[in-house]
This record gives sequence, structure tokens and C-alpha cells, in this order.
Amino acid sequence: MPTLAGVFVKRMPSAAEIAWLIPVLPLIGAVITGLGLITFNKTINRLRKPVAVLLVTCLGSAAVISYAVLFEQINGSPPLEHLFVWASAGNFILPMGYVIDPLAALMLALVTTIALLVMIYSHGYMAHDKGYVRFFTYLALFSSSMLGLIVSPNLLEVYVFWELVGMCSYLLVGFWYDREGAAHAAQKAFVVNRVGDFGLLLGILGLFWATGSFDFQNIALGLSEAISSGDVPTWAALTLCLLVFMGPMAKSAQFPLHVWLPDAMEGPTPISALIHAATMVAAGVFLVARLEPIYTQFPSVGLVIAVVGTITCFLGASIALNQMDLKKGLAYSTVSQLGYMMLAMGCGAPVAGIFHLVTHAFFKAMLFLGSGSVIHAMEEVVGHEPVLAQDMRLMGGLKKKMPITANTFLIGCIAISGIPPLAGFWSKDEILGQAFNTFPLLWFIGFLTAGMTAFYMFRLYFLTFEGTFRGENKELQKQLLSSAGKVDDDQEHHNPGELHESPWPMTMPLVTLAIPSIVVGLLGTPWDSKFAALLNPQEAIEMSQSFQWGEFLPLALASVAISSSGIALAVMAYFLNRIKLSEVFANRYPAIDEFLKRKWYLDEINEKIFVQGSRKLAKEVLEVDAKVVDGVVNLTGLLTLGSGEGLKYFETGRAQFYALIVFAGVIGLVALFGVLGTPPI
Amino acid sequence: MTEQVTANFPWLSLSILFPIVSAFLIPFIPDQGEGKQVRWFALGIALVTFLITVGAYLNGYDPSKEGLQLAERVNWLPDIGLTWAVGADGLSMPLILLTSFITALAVLAAWPVSFKPKLFFFLLLAMDGGQIAVFAVQDMLLFFLAWELELLPVYLLLAIWGGKKRQYAATKFIIYTAGSSLFILLAALAMGFFGGGSPNFEFTHLAQLNFGTGFQLFAYAGLLIAFGVKLPIVPLHTWLPDAHGEATAPVHMLLAGILLKMGGYALLRFNAQLLPEAHAQFAPLLIILGVVNIIYAALTSFAQRNLKRKIAYSSISHMGFVLIGIGSFSSLGTSGAMLQMVSHGLIGASLFFLVGATYDRTHTLQLDEMGGVGQKMRIMFALWTVCSLASLALPGMSGFVSELMVFAGFVTDEAFTLTFRIVIAGLAAIGVILTPIYLLSMLREIFFGKENVELVSQTKLIDAEPREIYIIGCLLVPIIGIGLYPRLITDSYIASIEALVNRDLLAMERVGHPSSPVISKTKLIPAVIKAPAISTSLTT
Repeated sequence: MPTLAGVFVKRMPSAAEIAWLIPVLPLIGAVITGLGLITFNKTINRLRKPVAVLLVTCLGSAAVISYAVLFEQINGSPPLEHLFVWASAGNFILPMGYVIDPLAALMLALVTTIALLVMIYSHGYMAHDKGYVRFFTYLALFSSSMLGLIVSPNLLEVYVFWELVGMCSYLLVGFWYDREGAAHAAQKAFVVNRVGDFGLLLGILGLFWATGSFDFQNIALGLSEAISSGDVPTWAALTLCLLVFMGPMAKSAQFPLHVWLPDAMEGPTPISALIHAATMVAAGVFLVARLEPIYTQFPSVGLVIAVVGTITCFLGASIALNQMDLKKGLAYSTVSQLGYMMLAMGCGAPVAGIFHLVTHAFFKAMLFLGSGSVIHAMEEVVGHEPVLAQDMRLMGGLKKKMPITANTFLIGCIAISGIPPLAGFWSKDEILGQAFNTFPLLWFIGFLTAGMTAFYMFRLYFLTFEGTFRGENKELQKQLLSSAGKVDDDQEHHNPGELHESPWPMTMPLVTLAIPSIVVGLLGTPWDSKFAALLNPQEAIEMSQSFQWGEFLPLALASVAISSSGIALAVMAYFLNRIKLSEVFANRYPAIDEFLKRKWYLDEINEKIFVQGSRKLAKEVLEVDAKVVDGVVNLTGLLTLGSGEGLKYFETGRAQFYALIVFAGVIGLVALFGVLGTPPI
Repeated sequence: MTEQVTANFPWLSLSILFPIVSAFLIPFIPDQGEGKQVRWFALGIALVTFLITVGAYLNGYDPSKEGLQLAERVNWLPDIGLTWAVGADGLSMPLILLTSFITALAVLAAWPVSFKPKLFFFLLLAMDGGQIAVFAVQDMLLFFLAWELELLPVYLLLAIWGGKKRQYAATKFIIYTAGSSLFILLAALAMGFFGGGSPNFEFTHLAQLNFGTGFQLFAYAGLLIAFGVKLPIVPLHTWLPDAHGEATAPVHMLLAGILLKMGGYALLRFNAQLLPEAHAQFAPLLIILGVVNIIYAALTSFAQRNLKRKIAYSSISHMGFVLIGIGSFSSLGTSGAMLQMVSHGLIGASLFFLVGATYDRTHTLQLDEMGGVGQKMRIMFALWTVCSLASLALPGMSGFVSELMVFAGFVTDEAFTLTFRIVIAGLAAIGVILTPIYLLSMLREIFFGKENVELVSQTKLIDAEPREIYIIGCLLVPIIGIGLYPRLITDSYIASIEALVNRDLLAMERVGHPSSPVISKTKLIPAVIKAPAISTSLTT
């Protein structure tokens, strides 16, 4: 019996019903400005404000719908899926569409929020850049692709958007295309990701072969059926799962496919915050969470994921220890934190992993935007040269000039170090707790890494914001430039300006992001996790029931203790200058110092084996093609003509004649058969 | 064979003859010798031809039917069994539309041609009709004539307007193609005279004949060589980098956009359709050759320092997917091969057009002599980026869909053993890594980085002009359209492809199980795949 309320509900479409608009709105904006840029380049480039307003409006509307969708899900709306047939042939049907469930709703709200803040920030950061409009267009395009990825109902559609976010990353890393470094970094990012996608594509195809479906649930069901019936051997299923995992490994910068992420810092800093810290790199973690129903069937896959995550986590933190480039330091920190998320996924705790994804997105985006604010200020002094503007040896004492940036950065450092009650503590501690129960050894590495994290983050903070400003040291600047292999071209050195706090479009997002960085962790306390209640109500009940202070406190205290010692060390070394770490450690163990500075030699290995190896192989194949394959052809020509001139004989124009002979011969032959009328067979 | 639908209006004959007959009017057009009037005339004719083919599609073609439509039949020389039989089914129709579309754009791309413009446009229009004929004729002898007839314009276009080594390239082209097409003639004669009685070369007749397996194998091998040169299949490809390396942009568009597709089309039409039992035996070879094409050509493309030759090799690489699709014995894979032909026709044409446009400005094709060009030519940079991304099969564009369909069709098909499928899919997927490596390196070397001082001092780098943007725009509309909603095009041919694949599967069953070790002995008819429920559903 339809009640009044029922009729009302039917008339008012729920937010989930119009959720397809969330990725489409930014896309429309991007298409309009993109077409404008192609057709009326000069005019559109002058219309900065209108373009910014248009795109912010598009993204803002998407954010509003996203929050409506999130509230519906919190209030217990059932998940919703809309599909249509995208391509079909024979018995095969490839559906596309969108799905709204708690995980998607959460990610939608997160991505739209950060994308919106980054867009506002970019208005300040890119104010003097001639590519302002292009930058905004790419941003909107990226947001659209990322949002599409989130609402994808099946693996194939995930793959589609997966590639599209990779493309946007390519375009944005290479945004300043006159820089040699950016060009290489962009290409590296795309190609390394393609290596991961190679596995992902094969895995998707294999799973489709095994189960006849691209849908997450159906694959999980089909795979367990196929294994139990013996149609698909277990080793094959395991291989497929691991192949699929190659995708997340590349996108979420897991060892050994993490090499692209630090290089990707060549892109403008807002991009580093949005794509290479908060959203796109987390897509791998998100996909693993989506694949949870498949992966839970194979504990060994979980182990692999956990081990890869732990290695990544330790590797990132260790390299971050002695980075001198502010952004690179943050980038390796991101690598490390993504490792934590993967560790959680491997432990079979996707809720913990996603929780850390969310808290990390807030504080890491804030940290990157803060570093952007610092770089923006530094450029006034040292010019638009990343080697100088991002090097912490030239910074110091910035707190006095830029208090808002410094304080929000400090909040970020505390949050990521895992000091309660800020966000990072709760999410990281939950991951460590899960690891402690599943893989104690991996827990121990993760635990050590927590101490390293606290140390390197506070090292960044102190080197940048405390002490005295070292930026006017011309001698040091020259030294840095020459060690980076760059020429000191004078035109870059405009009149050195004053350090100043960034304008409001840049500080506002910082302050806004500081709030969730402080409080969002409280939504996921282990005794009353609102987070788990949304994503997996069953698990939330179990968590709160099995929660015991006796178990929680020792682990939590241990984490806090190791983080505090990391901070203490950083204070002693870089704030109070009581310990000379270079003497105590670096000079005593130069091999380790060099090993970390060279980033575990992975870039060298990569360059030697893969880059040069593929170049060499390609050259050899081309040689074969030119000398052997084509050589045979030319030789044949030479022999048949019996002329020393070979094919050149034909250059006298007799070829037409030959063609005509062939042609006439054909006609003649046909006529002959026609006249004779007798079939030869 | 399924029923034919006779045309209510001679659409196809008109689309073949109209451009050719009109081309003969060109000498009478008053022109000062710079081509300013002729090009408008040629553009008009090409556009009308395009409209005729569109009219044929809209008025006489029903995409849901699998058989021949728009059929016209006139006994031309009954003594030798030559009939003017034209018609279109799913294999022909998309390519006919592609031909008239690309030719119209090529005429627009030929706008700056000022050397012997009358002859140039005459040849372009003659090619238009000739190529439509190749796809539309339904008589094997007629097919051979059309195939040969189309060689002459290409030869002349290469030999007169080409680059420095044009004579060598043109000669190589004509020897390769004319030589290999003798195999077509031999096969056609053998097939037409098969079984005694008066010769009959019509496809519908040939399809009903029951050739012996031995006969089929011979005919198949001959035709494979002939079409393998055109497609091209490694190692029969070496004419292509030379021909492409020397051609001017409009000729280039036609070569890459249409000529290569003649090879793929003919493989489907003759080898797969008329010789199904031999096809069952040869399919694994086709697939292996396809993988070789993909990897070999991608590597050579990576090492190439000449821009035109680089793109030429990339075309060869992309054609590998056509081969795998044709050999896949699945309707999804074969449909992907068809889509790959259309898609590469569009993407290849766009890339080659851009190569020409870039050359007009830089006057060099050597990557080492470029660099930092993007700073002066920003729109050109954007167009290049979009087309390169399309070529590396970025989702949202047509190349992705076709490659995906080939992959999925091949992998899920039970005709081949699991090991064979795993090895081939793994190798073909390496192409997925290699393609971005050479395309993005190319972009980096042309556009990124600091400006090449020498280049900038010598030439004036002007950004893309509206005509050029318009041509690329026209090509991008279908590229992106198909990428977003592939059924736009696949629905127009899927019925014919399914009929073709069913025929091949039946033949495979008839052959029993070929001795090839890679062909699966167990299930021949693909297992019915559980399709996920397609509906607006609420899942819980």
C-alpha cells in the first residue's frame, strides 16, 4: 500500500540516483574549456576567472551530490547499481554503469573535497603561470576520471578510468613541458604504470575467462565455484590474483614499481598534493579493497600483499631519512604510508586500510600544499628553479614569515607521526594492531617505521621552518645547481624578493584541511568506530565487542613511545643542534648513507636493465629489419634483374611499364580462358 | 548462403563510378596551375561521394541482417564469367564509409599541394572510387581488377609527389603488391573454374562450393601472401616503411587509413569466409604472426629516428591485433579485428596527417633535429598528444575498445589450448607496454624540453591553422565516439561477423581436430558464458 511518504520518496530522486552526475559534471567543465583552448586559445587564456569559476562550480556541485550520497549511505540506504550494455558480441556482454555503496560514497566525498580545495589553492599557486587555464582543465579532467574510477561497478570499468587517471597524471607531471626533468618524469610515470597495467589487464582477462564476469562479486563467487569444481586450478587462480595486484602495485607506488612517484614531483605542487598523495595513488589501495571478496579466498595472496606493503613502507621511510628536497621527502613519506595501507589490506583488514587512506589523504594533502606554499615563497628569493626552491638547505626560519603555513605543517607532522588524538594515530595504530595479530614480524617492521616516520617528518619541519634563513647564500646556491648538473643562467635571477605568507586562496585550504587532520581520527576509535560501522557494520560490532583496554593500551603506548623517540631525536639533531647526525651516523657508516641517498640504487638498476636494455634490443631489431629482412628483398631484386644497380634499375620509370604488363597479362589470361571456355580442373 | 537484399537504388555503383567519372572532368576545370579551383572541385566530389555512401548506409542497409545487401548484379562479360556484382554486408559497409570519409579529409589535407594539382586530385578521386570498389565488389575477378586498378594511382602519387627516395619507394611498392597479387589471380581462377562448368567468380557462388581441404590450403596460402603484403605481415612489410616514409601527408592518410585495411578485409572475406576449413588449420599461424607483428614492429618503431618511419612501423604493430582477431575463432575477437581496422584507419590517418603538418613547419623528420617544439606550437602539441594517446589505446578512444575486444575474444575462446592462449596473451600484452614507450618518447623528443636553438633559428614554427584543427577534429569525433560507445559501429557489422564465425566454427568441427598442437581438443563451440544480469537492479 503506497503511503504518502512512499509517494514522496518516489518523486524525489535520491542522491544516489543522480550520482552519475558526480563524474560527469567536472567532465563537462573540462570539455568546454578544453575545446575552447584548442579553438580560441588566446581568448580562453585571458578568461582566467570565468574558467576557474565554471570549473569550481562544476566540482562544487559534484561535491554537494557526493555529500548527499554519503549521508544517505550513513543513514542506511541500500547500495545502488545501474548498468547498460556497452559492447557485446555473441554471448559476451560488457556492461558499464555506476555503483554507489558505502565505500564509493566515502571516497566520492573525500575526493571531491580535496579536489575542490586544491583547485582553490591552485588559483593562488598558479596565478603567475601562463598555463593557468590548461592547468584547471587538467584538474577537472583528473577529478572526473578519479570519480569515475570510484563509482565503477566492475573491473573493466575500473581499468578504463585507471588508465584515464594515469593519463591525467602524465599530462600534469609534464605540465611544465619546457623542463627536461618533467618530460622524463611524465614518461616514466606512464610507462611504469603501464607495466602494472600489463599485469592488471592480463589478470582481468584471465578472471573473465575463469568466471565469465567482470563484476567483483560475481568473480569472487565464480572463482570459488570454478576452483571447487576443478575447472580452474588453484595455481591459475593465484596467478590471476597476483597479476591483478600488479596494477595496484604500480599505481600505489609499491616496491619495486614505486620508482615513478618521487620523480613525479616534477609536476606543480598542487598536483603532487591531489594526485600523488591524496587520491590517485590511493586508487590502488581502493582497488584492493574492492577486490577483497576475491582476495580473502587466498591467504597466500594476502601474505604477498602484506609483505610488499611492509617492504614499501620501510623503504619509503628509510629513503626519506636523508632527503634534502622538501617535496621528495614528502613523496617518499607517501610511498611509506601507502605501504602501511597495503599492509592493512594484506592483513585482511580493508577497513583499517581505507581508514588510513582517508586520514592520510587529509594530512598529506595539507603537508604537500604547505610545501607548495613554502616553494611559492622561496621562488621569490631564489627564482623559479626547483633545484633551489625545494632544497631545505636553503630554507630555515620560515616560521616567522609564514606562520599559517608553519603551524598547519606542524599539525600535519604530528598527525602523520601518530601522536594521539590526531588523525594518524588512530588509523596507523589500527593497522599495526591488525598486523600484530596476523603477521608479528611485519608488525615489528611497521612499528620501527613509525619511529622513522616521526623522525623524518620533524626533520623536514625543523629544517624548513626553524633556525635561521639560509636562502640568500649565493655560494650554496651555486654549489647546489652544479651538483644537479644545471647551468646557472642569470636570467632566472630576478631581483630577490622578500619571503611572505601566501595569499588567502592558498592558506584557506591549509586551514580547512587542518581540521580533519586533527579530528577525523576520532571517528575511527577502536571501541566505537563510526568508520567501520559505515563500511562494514558487522566488523564494527565485532570490533567494539572484542575491544579490551588491556590489549589496546600496550600497543598504543608502544607506538606513541617510538614516535616520541623519533621526534625527540629530530629535536635534538635539528632544533637544539645537540647531536651532529652527520658525524654520529653518516660519516661512520658512509655505505648506508650512500645507499639511502641513491634510493637503494633502484633507479640505477632500472636505468641499466630496463631503459638501456630495451633501447639496445630495439636498435638490434631495427638493424635486423634493415639489413636482413629488407636486405633479402633488395638482394632478390638484384638477382632477378641481373643488374648491378639492383632496384635502382627501376628508377628510370620502367615500373609503370611493368605494372601495365602485369595488368594486361591478367586481362589477356582472363580473356583466353573465356574464349576456350574449358575449365582447367 | 543467406538471402540477399537487392538494392532499390544503385547506391554502391554510384559511389564507385561517381568519383571516377567526375575525376575525368578535372582537366576541363579552368585553373592557373596552383590548384586553387581544382581543390574545391575535388573536395566537393569527395564530399558528395561520402554523402552517397552515407545515403547507402541509411537507406539501403539494415545492420541487423547478416547477408548481402544493396546488391546489384549485371552480367558484364558472361563469356569469361565476369559480372558487375556489388553489394555490402557487415564486412564491407564500415570500410566503405571509412574510405569515403578518409578520402574527403585527405582532399582537405591536400590543400597546399601546388605541384601538378590537377593530376594529384585526379588520382585522389580515382583512388576513392577504386577503393570503394575493392570493398563493395562481390565478384572475385572484379575484386582482382579493382585491387590492381588502385595500385596505379598510389604508384604515381608516390613516384611524383614523394620525398627524396620516392622512385625507390614507389618501385618497391609496385613490385611487392603487383607481384603478390598474382597469387590473388591464380587463386581466383582456380576457385572460379572449380568443379567444371562455366566459370563463375561471384562470392555467393564460391561460398557454396565444396572445395577439398587440400585445394583450400593451397588457395589459402597464396591469398595469405597476397594479403599479407598489404596488411602487412612481418616479414612481408618492408615496402611499407619506405612507401610511408616518402609519401606526402594526404597520400599517407590514404595508405594508412584505407590501403592497409584492404589486406585485413580481404583476409576476412576470402580466407576466413570462403576457405573456412583451411582457416581452421591456418588460424594458429595467423595468431603467431600477429604477435610477431605487434612486438617486432613496436621495437623497430622505438629505435627509429625518422618520425614518418616511426609511425609507419607503429601501423604495422597495430595491424597485429587484426591478425589475432581474425584467427581467434570468436565473434568477439573477430569483431575486435574489424573495429581495429576502422579505429586504426582513423587514428593512423590522424597521426600521419600530423606528421605531414609538422614536417611543413620543421622541414625535418629526424627526431634528433627537433626538440622543444611545443613552446611555439602549442595547439599542434595538444593535437599530437591526443592522437598519440588514442594510438596507445587509451580508454575512451576507439583503439582501446578494439584491442580489448581482441584480447577478451581470444582469451575466452575455447578453440585453442590454454597454454597457447596464455603465451600469446602474455606476449601481445607486452605490446601494451611497448606502445607508450615509443609514442611517449617520440612526443618527448619533439615537443618537450628546451627549444632546439638550431631548428628555431632556421624555420618559423607557426601553430596549427584552423584547417588542420578541423581535420583532426573530424577524425577525433568518431575515435572518441567509438571509444565511449563502441556499439555505434559494432552494431553495424556484428550480425555478419557472427555468421562468419559460426561458419568457421562449423568448418573446424568438420575438419575434425586439426593436427596443430595448439588447437584445443575438447571444446570447440565456446562455452556459454554466464552474462551478468543487465538491468537497473538494486543489489543488497
